[in-house]
Amino acid sequence: MKGALMEKEEKKDVLLEPPEDQRKRNTSGEVTDLNALAEGNGEVHVRTEDFSIFYGTNEAVKKVKMNIPSKHVTAIIGPSGCGKSTFLRAINRMNDLIPSCYTKGKMYFDDHDIYSQKTDVVTLRRRIGMVFQKPNPFPKSIFDNIAYGPRLHGNKNKNELFQIVEKSLMHAALWDEVKDRLNENALGLSGGQQQRLCLARTMAVDPEILLMDEPTSALDPKATAKIEDLIAELRGEYTIIIVTHNMQQAARVSDYTAFFYEGILIEFGDTKELFQTPREKQTEDYITGRFG
Amino acid sequence: MRLSTRKLLDRSFTGLGFISIVIMTAALLFLLTPIFIRGSRAFLFRATVEHRLLMLEKFKRGNPEKIQIEVEQTQKMRRPVYDMMSQYEKEISQLSRLEKMEKKNQLRELKKYIENLLGPAPGETRPVLWRDQYGQTRWERALAHLQKVLYREKWDYSDPTKMGQKILIPRTEDFKGTSLENLFPYIENNLKKMLSPRLTFYWRFLTDKSYDAHFFGGIWPEMLGTLYLTLGAMIFAIPMGVIAAIYLTEYAKQGTVISVLRTCISTLAGVPSIVFGLFGLAFFINTIKISESKSVLAGSMTLALLILPTVIRASEEAIRAVPVTYKEAALSLGASKWHTVLTVILPAALPGILTGIVISMGRAAGETAPIIFTAAVSVGKPLKLLETFTQPTPALPWNIYNLATEHEAVDEIRHVQFGMVLTLVLMVLVLNMAAIILRARISKKLKG
Amino acid sequence: MFQNTKNKRESLLLSERAHRLQRVGSFLGQGFLFFITSISTLAVLFIIFFIAKDALPFFQLEGFREFFTSTHWYPSAEKPEFGVMAIFYGSAMVTIGAILVAVPLGISAAVCLSDVLPFIVRQYVKPVIEILAAIPSVAYGFFALVVFAPTLQKHGGHLLSVASWLILTPLAVIFIIVISDLTTTRLSDKVRNPSRLAIIIFLGICFAWGLFQMSHYFNGIIITSGTNALNVSIILGIMALPTVVSVSEDALQAAGRELREGSYALGATRAETIIRTIIPAASSGILAATILGVMRAIGETMVVWMASGNAAQVPKPWYNFLSPVRTLTATIAGDMGEADHVTGSSRYHVLFAMALSLLLFSFLANLASEWIVVREQKKLGK
Ligand SMILES: Nc1ncnc2c1ncn2[C@@H]1O[C@H](COP(=O)(O)OP(=O)(O)OP(=O)(O)O)[C@@H](O)[C@H]1O
Ligand SMILES: [Mg+2]
Repeated sequence: MKGALMEKEEKKDVLLEPPEDQRKRNTSGEVTDLNALAEGNGEVHVRTEDFSIFYGTNEAVKKVKMNIPSKHVTAIIGPSGCGKSTFLRAINRMNDLIPSCYTKGKMYFDDHDIYSQKTDVVTLRRRIGMVFQKPNPFPKSIFDNIAYGPRLHGNKNKNELFQIVEKSLMHAALWDEVKDRLNENALGLSGGQQQRLCLARTMAVDPEILLMDEPTSALDPKATAKIEDLIAELRGEYTIIIVTHNMQQAARVSDYTAFFYEGILIEFGDTKELFQTPREKQTEDYITGRFG
Repeated sequence: MRLSTRKLLDRSFTGLGFISIVIMTAALLFLLTPIFIRGSRAFLFRATVEHRLLMLEKFKRGNPEKIQIEVEQTQKMRRPVYDMMSQYEKEISQLSRLEKMEKKNQLRELKKYIENLLGPAPGETRPVLWRDQYGQTRWERALAHLQKVLYREKWDYSDPTKMGQKILIPRTEDFKGTSLENLFPYIENNLKKMLSPRLTFYWRFLTDKSYDAHFFGGIWPEMLGTLYLTLGAMIFAIPMGVIAAIYLTEYAKQGTVISVLRTCISTLAGVPSIVFGLFGLAFFINTIKISESKSVLAGSMTLALLILPTVIRASEEAIRAVPVTYKEAALSLGASKWHTVLTVILPAALPGILTGIVISMGRAAGETAPIIFTAAVSVGKPLKLLETFTQPTPALPWNIYNLATEHEAVDEIRHVQFGMVLTLVLMVLVLNMAAIILRARISKKLKG
Repeated sequence: MFQNTKNKRESLLLSERAHRLQRVGSFLGQGFLFFITSISTLAVLFIIFFIAKDALPFFQLEGFREFFTSTHWYPSAEKPEFGVMAIFYGSAMVTIGAILVAVPLGISAAVCLSDVLPFIVRQYVKPVIEILAAIPSVAYGFFALVVFAPTLQKHGGHLLSVASWLILTPLAVIFIIVISDLTTTRLSDKVRNPSRLAIIIFLGICFAWGLFQMSHYFNGIIITSGTNALNVSIILGIMALPTVVSVSEDALQAAGRELREGSYALGATRAETIIRTIIPAASSGILAATILGVMRAIGETMVVWMASGNAAQVPKPWYNFLSPVRTLTATIAGDMGEADHVTGSSRYHVLFAMALSLLLFSFLANLASEWIVVREQKKLGK
């Protein structure tokens, strides 16, 4: 059964295959041991060392050691409640919102300690954008939604703002659908459009990393396909970390996959390898659907 | 118990609930109906020629020629009344001294009542008070005064176990067989022609000053005072209340200090309004001497304290109702906390906050007890904006009380009292309707 | 995408100075917010302090004894007397009267709102409650004085007798049926129905006779003054109604659906579910509602000032609701005007002493209701 599933997936993968040059690095087997990336070369974007996250006394993420490569798509999978969201939100310190939450260990962004006292959280979040599970546009016009970030960072020039809005919307493949209604309330858009708007809004502040927490779980298949296409287009330009419940999705869009189980990083590696020849028993059980 | 009895009990229980709802609604109707019906008579009433004459002479309103003609017509109808009386005076001058005295007294009383009804007799010197210069301006008051002309009141104390009984004696009996005998039927039958009542819409009731202790004119100073007090209270209460709500929802960390603050807020909400008034007197006026004595400023601040808990609670609730995803989105775009509050959370919470503000505005407009010692006076002119810092003002709620209990002629100016109550109630109701509509819109937006 | 900006990335690291600035800024900002918040909340401590400050001179001048024990209130007499007992009694009397009106009505309305009425009807009843709550107290007072008092004075006896009929007849009918049912359940089938009928007829005649007697008595009553404790109690009750209804409705709703469904599943009727299960579960909320109603009634000024008659006396007999009374709030409002001219006299300070007792009462009541709510939350939490 497992074989059949994987075959099917592989076919899909081929169909959805991005341009060759992007795929090359993965297939060439250049990066097999991801931890080898840790040795200071520029390709690691986010690096953690024995990184744990607590909610009060509950340890939701346990001593994770992980090197997330730059300009690739990394998927995080795992059963519900295993700490995927918690880990993802830790990267741009969204967990600061939760009073009971604190961390142990180190997490680096470009060799900079994210949890250092002196880190400027505002700048950090500007450089590490996030797209949430449910589309969450502000109850403002489409234009104002996208211009929110640039305005925040001091850009008041109407022309420049318009350019940025146009660019971001085009980037998010939404421009054609909304170009005539930029001044309408963003809540009037469909769910899929809203999610792409959120993506455009995030890209308008020009981040280096895009965090996505189950960005398609609230969407129908068609809208999902659109977002997945977008991710495929954006790879190579951004470092994308995506949490998903949908294993096909992980297989389709990601270059690397990390499998979490009860807060522990069980396995992390090339997507294809992880799905075809998982090294750990738990991974195998999970991707073959034996639990979770 | 049998099933049927249980069912019956169940039914009657349901009935009980319905009855209580019906009683509640009925209470509201009983309360509002007289206020609306009698209050509207301050605006819409049958005005006599005296009203039009007064409007012309004192306010230069109306068409002088037309009114002149009307006055002449009514004067012609009144002529016989005065003729009869002078005739009678001649008659009694021939009587003996003692009899003359008695008759004269009777005549004087009658004359006084007729003067009340129709105004001073032609040729007499003009009295000082407006109310003496004119007859009855309102038809229903004219009818009440007609009774006094037609009947003499007498109190019967013959039964000591009971309270005195009022007996009405027709005055015709007093003047039987004299030339005045015909006076009473004449007045009764021709009063309409003597006063020519006409339905009038006096919208200026809202914008006229009051004259002659509210006998005439409108309620502008009171309206303006209430407006000043309410807006003043909002100026203090809104920033403080909203800031406190922001602090309590977004910044405060759980702890003893915060729970003490919360207890303080709920205690403040429970302080009786009269105590606020005393506090305003003791603190704002006597201690920090914000003004020499009562002033709009002191009253506003007292009212602001009174509505502060409402504003805080409503704003807190509205801010808490803002989906946390908005906040997350803003923060993830690199907004600082303060910026998030200003650009995302407050705008999203605004309708809810506004609802609370509008409701507490209604409360501030209607409160009486806090302004008794701090801001309200019974008689005053409309204030200019700068005078509000030092001067007291009349205000609707206080003047309703004052006119209904302490006025020299409470019954004569019922229409003014009801008009004031109606105005105040309408003000408050409109504010509350606005709040209800606002809230409906919010819930629709949240659903849609 | 935005290549040029990408090169000029600002550093993640805050400079020492920026770091310090940020911390000072956020400290100052939060300090400012905290300052404003505490001003608005600590106002209540200010109120207590300033009322107490002006109340103490009275006790220094006159002592405690007279204030709390005497019923003689002659503050402007040659030899003034400051006995406030009668005024305390008046306040208590109208408050109890108001509660007798507001609590039964309010709770049954709340039950109806939360468990009986369909949603659509509820939408129309809610505004009624909101409007009742919004109408200014002076409008209630004016109504009580100008409309209600004369009616009461003119038709008082008849009104009372009609009201007693309306209230007692349905209750009596239900009572009779339940009694007849309960007493005959044990009997054998044959005699049960005749004996039920007999009991119903017998009790019916008894009650009808009693009611007639009562309404006859009420009809004979002459109300000498419409401004009395009864008038004020009814109006205050209506004013307190919205508070009682909304707070106890919240409590009833909070009792939860599982509880209701559990009870229905055992075959209980709606009435039994509500009386045996829901109301006990919501009892502390209802108690809190009652306390809030009491606070509303005892703190109300305008209605009692305008329509209570303002006679500083304990009614004779003590339960006579048809006699005029005087309350704390009305005394403060009414006497301050005269007392103000002689700031510093006992006459002036005694009013603050009254306000202080009002304040303390409302403070305690508030604490009590809060304590009840917190305890309830804890219970639900565990
Ligand atoms: N705000 C919070 N406070 C306390 N505990 C939390 C909080 N959020 C999450 N947790 C706990 O942390 C653990 C991990 O939660 P997390 O949301 O990261 O799981 P997840 O992998 O994203 O699950 P899902 O796939 O369902 O989204 C869970 O056990 C959860 O109960
Ligand atoms: Mg999750």
